Amino acid sequence: MLLQDAPAETFNYMAFGYSVILSIMGLYVLSLRSRFRNLERDKELLDELSAKAEPSIENSSDATR
Amino acid sequence: MEPVPRNLKILTGITIVLFLTALYMVFIYAPREAIMGDVQRVFYFHVAAGWVGALAFLVTAIAGGVYLAKREPKWDRLAESSVEIGVVFTLINISSGSIWARPIWNTWWTWDPRLVTATIMLLLYFAYLMLRQGIEDPDRRARFGSVYGIAAFISVPVTFLSIRLFRTIHPVVIGSSDPAAEGAFDMTARMVQALMFSVLTFTFVYATLLRYRIRLGRGTEEVEKRKMELISL
Repeated sequence: MLLQDAPAETFNYMAFGYSVILSIMGLYVLSLRSRFRNLERDKELLDELSAKAEPSIENSSDATR
Repeated sequence: MEPVPRNLKILTGITIVLFLTALYMVFIYAPREAIMGDVQRVFYFHVAAGWVGALAFLVTAIAGGVYLAKREPKWDRLAESSVEIGVVFTLINISSGSIWARPIWNTWWTWDPRLVTATIMLLLYFAYLMLRQGIEDPDRRARFGSVYGIAAFISVPVTFLSIRLFRTIHPVVIGSSDPAAEGAFDMTARMVQALMFSVLTFTFVYATLLRYRIRLGRGTEEVEKRKMELISL
């Protein structure tokens, strides 16, 4: 009777491989999320600065009249 | 920032469902390979990631060409976004391949044509991202990016054809392998289905990430424009 070799025991490599794959994808998604958050903060800051700058411009244009 | 459009939310939902289904197909539906064992399952996402890299760089080359013709910033935004995603997935392709190779070829790395050309391709496009950062003027940056993206695309067919043109130990999935190839295997119907589904899933992942990355690019440009306006006040 012919003895058939069992498949190689490579489960650990498969687990390692998928950990790396999913980690890289996950890190990229997290980086996108973080960049979106930074963008929102920048926009809020710009809104605040714009709001402060507008009264100053009005005051200086009143003063020159 | 404008709210996420409904169609993008739907696309994201579909992509998540496809991804979970792909995981089921890879780990449960597809059979265990008779010689390599479980590590062969890495192949499904390894090939799919390689496909996304090639697709992303093709989109970059096309978008670059259209930008040079029309000079509309949206094409440059598309090109840059696509390269970023392409680099990520090419990195996934190379690292997953290395992990598969360890038990099969008994090495993490070898100077095989496929591995070398894929790594050169990765480095070329990584350089694209780095070099863009160094150019201040948006129009000059876009023109540079477009020309570079078109020229660098030659690395994609070279990488794909490397296992067919040169002597290699990298297995050929479609077609017959070089006699020196190690790790080649005959796919059962379920394996083919798992592979095709993984490629489809990763295409959706690419499309979804690309939409988000383009939104990010648009938002960044708006912020830069507002900063300049504020400075000039």
